[in-house]
Amino acid sequence: MSQDTAIPNIVFGPISRTTLALYAGASGDHNPAHIDIDFAREAGLPDVFAHGMLSFGVLARVVTEWAGQGAVRQFSVRFASITQVRDTINCSARVVEPVEFEGAPCLRVAVEAKAQDGRTTLVGEAIVDVR
Amino acid sequence: MSDAAQAVAPKGLFDRSTAGTTTPPVTVAVERDRIRFLSKVLGIADLAHHDVAAARAAGYPDLLAPPSFPMVVEAMANDERARRGQPDLLTLLRCDFRRLLHGGETYTYHGQIFAGDEVELVTEIRGFQDKKGGALEIADVGLRITHRERGLLVSAERTLIHRLA
Repeated sequence: MSQDTAIPNIVFGPISRTTLALYAGASGDHNPAHIDIDFAREAGLPDVFAHGMLSFGVLARVVTEWAGQGAVRQFSVRFASITQVRDTINCSARVVEPVEFEGAPCLRVAVEAKAQDGRTTLVGEAIVDVR
Repeated sequence: MSDAAQAVAPKGLFDRSTAGTTTPPVTVAVERDRIRFLSKVLGIADLAHHDVAAARAAGYPDLLAPPSFPMVVEAMANDERARRGQPDLLTLLRCDFRRLLHGGETYTYHGQIFAGDEVELVTEIRGFQDKKGGALEIADVGLRITHRERGLLVSAERTLIHRLA
Protein backbone atom coordinates (compact mmCIF):
# COMPACT_ATOMS: atom_id res chain seq x y z
CA MET A 1 0.00 0.00 0.00
CA SER A 2 1.43 3.38 -0.84
CA GLN A 3 1.24 6.30 1.46
CA ASP A 4 -0.93 8.49 -0.78
CA THR A 5 -3.71 6.03 -1.50
CA ALA A 6 -7.10 7.45 -0.54
CA ILE A 7 -8.93 4.91 1.62
CA PRO A 8 -12.67 4.50 0.95
CA ASN A 9 -14.86 4.89 4.03
CA ILE A 10 -17.73 2.60 5.03
CA VAL A 11 -21.10 3.82 6.29
CA PHE A 12 -22.83 1.24 8.51
CA GLY A 13 -26.34 1.51 9.88
CA PRO A 14 -28.71 2.63 11.14
CA ILE A 15 -27.81 -0.02 13.71
CA SER A 16 -31.08 -1.72 14.59
CA ARG A 17 -32.04 -4.01 17.44
CA THR A 18 -32.05 -6.79 14.86
CA THR A 19 -28.40 -6.05 14.05
CA LEU A 20 -27.55 -6.24 17.76
CA ALA A 21 -29.43 -9.51 18.19
CA LEU A 22 -27.67 -11.00 15.18
CA TYR A 23 -24.27 -9.72 16.34
CA ALA A 24 -24.86 -11.25 19.79
CA GLY A 25 -25.53 -14.60 18.14
CA ALA A 26 -22.70 -14.33 15.62
CA SER A 27 -20.05 -13.16 18.08
CA GLY A 28 -21.15 -15.20 21.07
CA ASP A 29 -21.19 -12.03 23.19
CA HIS A 30 -24.51 -12.46 24.98
CA ASN A 31 -24.16 -9.55 27.40
CA PRO A 32 -27.84 -8.60 27.95
CA ALA A 33 -26.99 -4.86 28.01
CA HIS A 34 -26.88 -5.13 24.19
CA ILE A 35 -30.04 -7.11 23.53
CA ASP A 36 -32.47 -6.95 26.44
CA ILE A 37 -34.13 -3.59 27.07
CA ASP A 38 -35.63 -4.82 30.36
CA PHE A 39 -32.14 -5.58 31.64
CA ALA A 40 -30.83 -2.22 30.40
CA ARG A 41 -33.59 -0.29 32.16
CA GLU A 42 -33.11 -2.20 35.40
CA ALA A 43 -29.42 -1.23 35.18
CA GLY A 44 -30.43 2.43 34.89
CA LEU A 45 -29.59 2.73 31.19
CA PRO A 46 -32.01 4.44 28.80
CA ASP A 47 -31.79 1.60 26.28
CA VAL A 48 -29.60 -1.22 25.02
CA PHE A 49 -26.44 -0.09 23.25
CA ALA A 50 -24.28 -1.54 20.50
CA HIS A 51 -21.45 -3.99 21.12
CA GLY A 52 -18.12 -2.19 20.82
CA MET A 53 -16.72 -5.09 18.84
CA LEU A 54 -19.46 -4.71 16.22
CA SER A 55 -18.00 -1.31 15.36
CA PHE A 56 -14.48 -2.72 15.63
CA GLY A 57 -15.42 -5.33 13.02
CA VAL A 58 -16.82 -2.76 10.59
CA LEU A 59 -13.92 -0.35 11.16
CA ALA A 60 -11.46 -3.17 10.48
CA ARG A 61 -13.23 -3.70 7.12
CA VAL A 62 -12.13 -0.22 6.02
CA VAL A 63 -8.52 -1.34 6.35
CA THR A 64 -8.85 -4.94 5.11
CA GLU A 65 -10.89 -3.95 2.04
CA TRP A 66 -8.22 -1.38 1.16
CA ALA A 67 -4.99 -3.20 2.04
CA GLY A 68 -6.04 -6.87 2.12
CA GLN A 69 -6.39 -8.74 5.39
CA GLY A 70 -2.98 -10.36 5.07
CA ALA A 71 -1.30 -6.94 5.19
CA VAL A 72 -2.78 -5.98 8.58
CA ARG A 73 -0.24 -6.51 11.39
CA GLN A 74 -2.08 -4.82 14.20
CA PHE A 75 -5.45 -3.19 14.80
CA SER A 76 -6.04 -1.16 17.90
CA VAL A 77 -9.05 0.85 19.04
CA ARG A 78 -10.26 2.80 22.01
CA PHE A 79 -14.00 2.96 22.60
CA ALA A 80 -14.51 6.72 22.92
CA SER A 81 -18.27 6.83 23.37
CA ILE A 82 -21.23 4.48 23.37
CA THR A 83 -22.81 3.56 20.04
CA GLN A 84 -26.56 3.79 20.48
CA VAL A 85 -29.39 1.95 18.77
CA ARG A 86 -30.26 3.69 15.46
CA ASP A 87 -26.81 5.29 15.17
CA THR A 88 -25.25 5.21 11.73
CA ILE A 89 -21.48 5.08 11.93
CA ASN A 90 -19.09 6.47 9.35
CA CYS A 91 -15.88 4.42 9.47
CA SER A 92 -12.82 6.03 7.94
CA ALA A 93 -9.06 5.62 7.76
CA ARG A 94 -6.12 7.67 6.60
CA VAL A 95 -2.42 6.95 6.28
CA VAL A 96 -0.41 8.85 8.89
CA GLU A 97 3.22 7.87 8.40
CA PRO A 98 5.63 5.09 7.55
CA VAL A 99 6.73 3.08 10.57
CA GLU A 100 8.82 0.00 11.25
CA PHE A 101 6.93 -2.81 12.93
CA GLU A 102 8.67 -6.00 14.05
CA GLY A 103 11.48 -5.13 11.63
CA ALA A 104 9.23 -4.69 8.58
CA PRO A 105 8.40 -1.49 6.70
CA CYS A 106 4.78 -0.60 7.47
CA LEU A 107 2.33 2.26 7.46
CA ARG A 108 0.55 3.65 10.48
CA VAL A 109 -3.08 4.24 9.56
CA ALA A 110 -5.42 6.25 11.78
CA VAL A 111 -8.94 4.83 12.01
CA GLU A 112 -12.09 6.40 13.36
CA ALA A 113 -15.81 5.74 13.63
CA LYS A 114 -18.17 8.68 14.01
CA ALA A 115 -21.91 8.66 14.57
CA GLN A 116 -24.27 10.80 12.45
CA ASP A 117 -24.16 13.65 15.00
CA GLY A 118 -20.36 13.89 14.81
CA ARG A 119 -19.71 11.95 18.03
CA THR A 120 -16.50 9.90 17.80
CA THR A 121 -17.36 6.38 18.92
CA LEU A 122 -14.12 4.53 18.16
CA VAL A 123 -10.65 5.87 17.50
CA GLY A 124 -7.51 3.91 16.88
CA GLU A 125 -4.89 2.79 14.43
CA ALA A 126 -3.84 -0.01 12.17
CA ILE A 127 -0.32 -1.10 11.25
CA VAL A 128 -0.28 -2.28 7.64
CA ASP A 129 2.50 -3.73 5.46
CA VAL A 130 3.89 -1.49 2.73
CA ARG A 131 3.58 -3.27 -0.58
CA MET B 1 -10.84 -10.43 54.31
CA SER B 2 -10.38 -8.72 57.69
CA ASP B 3 -12.25 -5.54 58.59
CA ALA B 4 -8.98 -3.60 58.46
CA ALA B 5 -8.19 -4.88 54.96
CA GLN B 6 -11.71 -4.09 53.81
CA ALA B 7 -11.38 -0.54 55.10
CA VAL B 8 -8.40 0.17 52.82
CA ALA B 9 -9.55 -1.95 49.86
CA PRO B 10 -10.64 -0.04 46.73
CA LYS B 11 -14.37 0.10 46.22
CA GLY B 12 -14.10 -1.71 42.89
CA LEU B 13 -16.19 -4.69 41.88
CA PHE B 14 -13.62 -6.74 39.96
CA ASP B 15 -12.10 -9.62 41.89
CA ARG B 16 -8.60 -8.18 42.16
CA SER B 17 -7.20 -11.35 43.69
CA THR B 18 -7.25 -12.72 40.11
CA ALA B 19 -4.38 -10.41 39.00
CA GLY B 20 -1.69 -12.53 37.41
CA THR B 21 -4.06 -15.44 36.74
CA THR B 22 -3.67 -17.35 33.47
CA THR B 23 -6.61 -19.54 32.54
CA PRO B 24 -6.05 -23.19 31.59
CA PRO B 25 -5.67 -23.50 27.78
CA VAL B 26 -8.86 -24.30 25.90
CA THR B 27 -8.89 -25.72 22.38
CA VAL B 28 -11.80 -24.92 20.06
CA ALA B 29 -12.67 -26.00 16.53
CA VAL B 30 -13.26 -23.16 14.06
CA GLU B 31 -16.38 -23.90 12.06
CA ARG B 32 -17.25 -22.49 8.66
CA ASP B 33 -20.67 -21.29 9.71
CA ARG B 34 -19.25 -19.25 12.62
CA ILE B 35 -17.03 -17.42 10.12
CA ARG B 36 -19.92 -16.97 7.68
CA PHE B 37 -22.33 -15.70 10.34
CA LEU B 38 -19.93 -13.12 11.77
CA SER B 39 -18.89 -12.00 8.28
CA LYS B 40 -22.50 -11.59 7.19
CA VAL B 41 -23.47 -9.46 10.19
CA LEU B 42 -20.42 -7.23 9.68
CA GLY B 43 -21.32 -6.76 6.02
CA ILE B 44 -18.16 -8.41 4.70
CA ALA B 45 -18.67 -9.12 1.01
CA ASP B 46 -15.33 -10.83 0.22
CA LEU B 47 -16.26 -14.38 -0.73
CA ALA B 48 -13.10 -15.74 0.93
CA HIS B 49 -15.12 -15.47 4.18
CA HIS B 50 -18.22 -17.19 2.78
CA ASP B 51 -17.47 -19.58 -0.07
CA VAL B 52 -14.93 -22.40 0.24
CA ALA B 53 -14.12 -22.53 -3.48
CA ALA B 54 -13.54 -18.76 -3.53
CA ALA B 55 -11.34 -19.00 -0.44
CA ARG B 56 -9.24 -21.73 -2.06
CA ALA B 57 -9.03 -19.77 -5.32
CA ALA B 58 -7.63 -16.88 -3.25
CA GLY B 59 -4.92 -19.20 -1.93
CA TYR B 60 -6.40 -19.97 1.48
CA PRO B 61 -6.87 -23.53 2.80
CA ASP B 62 -10.50 -22.80 3.79
CA LEU B 63 -12.75 -19.88 4.80
CA LEU B 64 -10.77 -16.94 6.21
CA ALA B 65 -11.82 -15.63 9.64
CA PRO B 66 -12.16 -11.82 9.82
CA PRO B 67 -9.98 -9.71 12.18
CA SER B 68 -12.57 -9.60 14.98
CA PHE B 69 -13.00 -13.39 14.99
CA PRO B 70 -10.88 -13.80 18.17
CA MET B 71 -14.00 -12.67 20.07
CA VAL B 72 -15.79 -15.71 18.70
CA VAL B 73 -12.89 -17.96 19.71
CA GLU B 74 -13.16 -16.55 23.20
CA ALA B 75 -16.93 -17.12 23.29
CA MET B 76 -16.47 -20.71 22.12
CA ALA B 77 -13.74 -21.21 24.72
CA ASN B 78 -16.10 -19.86 27.39
CA ASP B 79 -18.71 -22.43 26.36
CA GLU B 80 -16.09 -25.16 26.63
CA ARG B 81 -15.00 -23.86 30.05
CA ALA B 82 -18.63 -24.01 31.18
CA ARG B 83 -18.82 -27.64 30.03
CA ARG B 84 -15.68 -28.38 32.08
CA GLY B 85 -17.10 -26.60 35.09
CA GLN B 86 -14.44 -23.85 34.86
CA PRO B 87 -15.32 -20.17 35.16
CA ASP B 88 -15.04 -17.93 32.10
CA LEU B 89 -13.09 -14.68 32.11
CA LEU B 90 -16.03 -12.43 32.94
CA THR B 91 -17.06 -14.69 35.83
CA LEU B 92 -13.48 -14.87 37.13
CA LEU B 93 -13.25 -11.08 37.04
CA ARG B 94 -16.71 -10.87 38.66
CA CYS B 95 -17.89 -8.50 35.92
CA ASP B 96 -21.14 -6.67 36.54
CA PHE B 97 -22.88 -6.42 33.16
CA ARG B 98 -24.88 -3.43 34.42
CA ARG B 99 -21.66 -1.43 34.67
CA LEU B 100 -19.39 -3.05 32.10
CA LEU B 101 -17.80 -1.26 29.14
CA HIS B 102 -14.90 -2.03 26.83
CA GLY B 103 -12.04 0.43 27.13
CA GLY B 104 -9.78 -0.60 24.30
CA GLU B 105 -8.74 -3.57 22.25
CA THR B 106 -5.41 -4.16 20.50
CA TYR B 107 -5.05 -7.22 18.29
CA THR B 108 -1.71 -8.20 16.79
CA TYR B 109 -1.94 -10.66 13.91
CA HIS B 110 0.90 -13.13 13.47
CA GLY B 111 -1.07 -15.48 11.22
CA GLN B 112 -4.59 -16.09 9.95
CA ILE B 113 -7.36 -18.26 11.40
CA PHE B 114 -9.15 -20.56 8.95
CA ALA B 115 -12.21 -22.79 9.10
CA GLY B 116 -11.16 -26.29 10.09
CA ASP B 117 -8.45 -25.01 12.44
CA GLU B 118 -8.23 -26.19 16.00
CA VAL B 119 -6.89 -23.25 17.95
CA GLU B 120 -5.88 -22.89 21.57
CA LEU B 121 -6.84 -19.87 23.65
CA VAL B 122 -5.09 -18.72 26.79
CA THR B 123 -6.38 -15.71 28.71
CA GLU B 124 -4.31 -13.77 31.22
CA ILE B 125 -5.58 -11.27 33.80
CA ARG B 126 -2.70 -8.79 33.98
CA GLY B 127 -3.91 -6.33 36.60
CA PHE B 128 -6.23 -3.56 37.64
CA GLN B 129 -6.21 0.23 37.64
CA ASP B 130 -8.44 2.96 39.05
CA LYS B 131 -9.14 6.05 36.94
CA LYS B 132 -11.03 9.31 37.26
CA GLY B 133 -10.82 9.38 41.04
CA GLY B 134 -12.28 5.92 41.38
CA ALA B 135 -15.22 6.55 39.02
CA LEU B 136 -13.81 3.89 36.69
CA GLU B 137 -12.02 0.67 37.46
CA ILE B 138 -10.13 -1.05 34.71
CA ALA B 139 -9.07 -4.66 34.20
CA ASP B 140 -6.16 -5.33 31.83
CA VAL B 141 -6.55 -8.66 30.08
CA GLY B 142 -4.42 -10.44 27.50
CA LEU B 143 -5.16 -13.32 25.21
CA ARG B 144 -3.18 -15.54 22.88
CA ILE B 145 -4.53 -17.79 20.17
CA THR B 146 -2.16 -20.45 18.88
CA HIS B 147 -2.23 -23.30 16.36
CA ARG B 148 -0.29 -26.51 16.93
CA GLU B 149 1.68 -26.30 13.68
CA ARG B 150 1.46 -22.61 12.74
CA GLY B 151 2.25 -21.25 16.20
CA LEU B 152 0.99 -17.95 17.55
CA LEU B 153 -1.80 -16.52 15.36
CA VAL B 154 -3.20 -13.65 17.39
CA SER B 155 -2.23 -11.88 20.57
CA ALA B 156 -4.47 -9.25 22.12
CA GLU B 157 -4.61 -6.76 24.91
CA ARG B 158 -7.99 -5.64 26.14
CA THR B 159 -9.31 -3.40 28.86
CA LEU B 160 -12.64 -3.94 30.56
CA ILE B 161 -14.18 -1.11 32.54
CA HIS B 162 -16.67 -0.91 35.36
CA ARG B 163 -18.48 2.39 35.67
CA LEU B 164 -18.62 2.90 39.44
CA ALA B 165 -20.01 6.41 39.63
